[in-house]
Amino acid sequence: MSSPSTTTPGPGDVADGVFTRRFAEADPADVGWLGGKGAGLARMTQQGLRVPPGYVIGTDACRRYLAERALPAGLDDEVFARLSELERAAGKTFGGGPVPLLLSVRSGAPISMPGMMDTILNLGLNRTAAIALGEATGDARFVADLVTRFHAMYAETVLDATDPGEGIGELVAQVGAGDDPGAVYDRIWDACQRALADDTGDSVPDDPREQLLGAVEAVFRSWNTRRARTYRDHHKIPHDLGTAVVVQSMVFGNLSADSGSGVVFTRNPATGEPGLFGEYLAHSQGEDVVAGTRTPDPVTEALAPAVLDELRVTCADLERSQGDVLDIEFTVERSALYFLQVRSAKRTPEAAVRIAADFLAEGSVAPSKAIRNVSAAQVRQVQRPGFDPDEVEKARAGGRLLTRGIGACPGQVGGALVLDPDRAKAAADAGRDVILARPVTSPADLHGMIASRGIVTATGGSTSHAAVVARALGTACVVGAGEIRVDEAARVLTVGGRTLAEGDEVSLDGATGELFAGRFATSTPAAATGALAALLGIASRASACSVLSRVTLPGDVEPAREAGADGLVTAVDDVLAATGHLDGLVAGLLGASADGFDGIAAMVEAEFTPLLAVAGDLEVGVRAIDLVADEARELLQQTAMTTRHPELSVPLGRPELVRAQLEGLARAVRESGGRARVHLALRHVSDPAEARALRALAGEVGSAVSIGTYLTSPRAAHGAVDIAAASDVVWLEVRTLQAAMFGIPARQLLTAEPLDGYLRRGLLGCDPRTTLDPSVQRLLADVAAAADTAGRRVGMRLSGEVSEAVAAQLYALGFRRFAVDAAETRPVVLALGKAALAA
Amino acid sequence: MTALSLSRTDYDVLNAVVVKKMATADAVVAASGVDAAQVSEILAALEGRGLLVVAGDSALPTDEAEPVLMEVAATRYSGVREDADIARLVDRFETTNAQFLTTMSSWQQIDSGGRKVANDHSDPEYDGKVIDRLNKLVARLTPLLDALAGHDARFGRYPERFAIALAAVDAGDHDLVSSPVRDSVHNIWFEFHEDLLRTLGKVRTE
Repeated sequence: MSSPSTTTPGPGDVADGVFTRRFAEADPADVGWLGGKGAGLARMTQQGLRVPPGYVIGTDACRRYLAERALPAGLDDEVFARLSELERAAGKTFGGGPVPLLLSVRSGAPISMPGMMDTILNLGLNRTAAIALGEATGDARFVADLVTRFHAMYAETVLDATDPGEGIGELVAQVGAGDDPGAVYDRIWDACQRALADDTGDSVPDDPREQLLGAVEAVFRSWNTRRARTYRDHHKIPHDLGTAVVVQSMVFGNLSADSGSGVVFTRNPATGEPGLFGEYLAHSQGEDVVAGTRTPDPVTEALAPAVLDELRVTCADLERSQGDVLDIEFTVERSALYFLQVRSAKRTPEAAVRIAADFLAEGSVAPSKAIRNVSAAQVRQVQRPGFDPDEVEKARAGGRLLTRGIGACPGQVGGALVLDPDRAKAAADAGRDVILARPVTSPADLHGMIASRGIVTATGGSTSHAAVVARALGTACVVGAGEIRVDEAARVLTVGGRTLAEGDEVSLDGATGELFAGRFATSTPAAATGALAALLGIASRASACSVLSRVTLPGDVEPAREAGADGLVTAVDDVLAATGHLDGLVAGLLGASADGFDGIAAMVEAEFTPLLAVAGDLEVGVRAIDLVADEARELLQQTAMTTRHPELSVPLGRPELVRAQLEGLARAVRESGGRARVHLALRHVSDPAEARALRALAGEVGSAVSIGTYLTSPRAAHGAVDIAAASDVVWLEVRTLQAAMFGIPARQLLTAEPLDGYLRRGLLGCDPRTTLDPSVQRLLADVAAAADTAGRRVGMRLSGEVSEAVAAQLYALGFRRFAVDAAETRPVVLALGKAALAA
Repeated sequence: MTALSLSRTDYDVLNAVVVKKMATADAVVAASGVDAAQVSEILAALEGRGLLVVAGDSALPTDEAEPVLMEVAATRYSGVREDADIARLVDRFETTNAQFLTTMSSWQQIDSGGRKVANDHSDPEYDGKVIDRLNKLVARLTPLLDALAGHDARFGRYPERFAIALAAVDAGDHDLVSSPVRDSVHNIWFEFHEDLLRTLGKVRTE
């Protein structure tokens, strides 16, 4: 790309401004002087992108303004000298013809903050300029529109009018393209001025130079709005930093047939598919595309070949240098391509995964950059089980599609139809999956909406109450399904001649807006096994970590393997509970007799044999029955049990119980073919003596089962070196350790409340759900050292959703072995890969 | 008759419970402006009249509550309903409300190449613009809220609640933009809309 000539200084240009610098010359690194926006434009210009020329009024001028309470002497002269430069560079005239120069004026603080003046576009419109623009574009309607928008923007941002332009829209609508632009200007401008005078008593200056100085001063003034001051106080940003002002010439896509405007993505942001994706509308301004008044064409078909080539080359360069898919706003003014904005493209989770995988396959982007723009949250979305596509196809063909509304929040869910929020909550509390159908929702429906897996409404668009709340809740939602009739009294829903009663099963797709009768089998989407698998393979190799997945039933093993698990973890109590042996287990424990323990050994043998058979040669970590586990309080009748048998509250209080599990497991290993590598891990171990006793017990049983210690307490972490020396395998449960350090029950680290509210009140400096506390980090540093000296593999047990921050912190501490909930396997593999590649 | 014996404060408390559906005494105090000391007494009295039930620490309206409010509103707000100034402001509110809903959606979803993508709030500039816009839209409610407060001071609670929520948003608590379970900008707006419709004797369509 060659540097466009329009940005280099010409004859008569101001060499070095006191208050101002051109985009072409300002040092992009000097954000303190240029502000964020100014620095960005300077960078783009100096990269060789053709950016509409402009300049920055530095933060110095603002600081002087704030001190002197007036524009500093000499600023106006410099602003007007720069204006002459812009006129010469653009070949346009400010406030005149044949082609008028219009400007955008924006604030640009070094740190962006709320309450600052945003943007004034189309500044420089007076009667002469409006007539010239009308003649250049041949479109008086465009002039009317521009005058209205400029007036409203100036009135709102400079003159603090709250709701300018009321009633002007009708006036604009009456203007025809061929009307006399002078008369149109007079009519619209006068109407705008009258409305403003009625509202605030003010008027917008007719003189473009006065408009320009007024806008600059408004930017400076906005530094001290109440919101900006509050923000700075709160974030401890100095009040004397000041803001810069960005003044930029505007380009027009509606000047000629070889002009136009468009938006292009360097790849498809919905699917991730490579190739330019975007729209272009010839002879138009960007607003026409947004307003949807004319239908734009695909960029690849509508742009002139030379312009398209330039766009392609530039997009490819930018994508490679930034290592990201970009969203680019551009305007073509008389065949010259101008870049207005370049930013990271917002994309669907599916696209994010595919883009990263493609970048890696193409080899054009460094792995650390390619993987950076995929989040664990997006991976969770992509792997979310959806309807089986074949079943959906059959359902459509078989008339099960009831209706199609507007997809308001994606998700494929099924459940019992309920027509009332109270009953929806009751049904959900009773353990049923509920789809709530309402004519319309209001805040009074909230409890029912929270309880439901899916929401469908008859009325409303994608901005209705139901849509907004569903998205806030992340609940699948279809709105505006206009064909459905909800009869609340009769508790039936009718649609297209069919009647469904409350309790009937339905399924809804919050992306397509479809509502089906009946339910669907769900499956892992293809995207989770294709591009995602490739991406995770690279992440996994980069981190060289092993990630074990938590499973309970034999059917869990294959999905865990598919998700990339390097091994499995499970728990004796979970397996027995899930296979219907809970009563037997509780009876065995309460009895605590020799027979009871034999029974437990037999149950372990029976239920672990099929699990280990499916596990093949994978490593399987089995946690022993834990009677004091937080999550087993009710399940195992903890209070009754530990009152009667207090010895069951300590890991080796009843060696027979451990022995029974070792024996049962050893038999299961034999029965299943002896391929699985199995260890039994005892929770809450905190002393090397316990580890040694466990080893001795295993020796008595003489089994092939290794022994593991499972640490949960600060004491155990503190003594991890010695415990590890006496164990085959060591696990440490991070959540329990964090909870212990905070003195909060561990289960409170899995829920929103009470910690959300507590953190909001500023009563904790660290959120233990998403970050490792420094106190825990210090302890874990010792544990990580234990892994080195003793050669033991200390694994981290992570329960619930794992934050990327925690994964990165643990990786940085040196841990390479993790066990997570099955659904977290892929997100954690990704997070560890990101941590490794960023290092 | 039940309706006619509903005092002003009774109405204010019951109205707060009906728009919220499930409301703690604290939330009723915040929304109605009725004195905290009075609220629990009034809640108990309304429960005694079968207009609400108190379960745990929350009050829930019965099916009788809304019709009673509608009936009382018809007389209590006849002045509001005849006020031409308010009618004009309500017309403008329709536009502002539509803009508000669009803005709220843009907080949650971003249009990208014709597809709606969930806003992951990774772009502070984008979020900042949406928050600026919300501030402007709330400011546009001021004339209507002032006019309503001229008839009934309880409407003065809305600007106070908006100010608290918006200040917290500026301080970084972005959850208060659209959280359905806190006194968020969206919730306050929606409660106001419900309240406004009942005051005017209209029915919501979306």
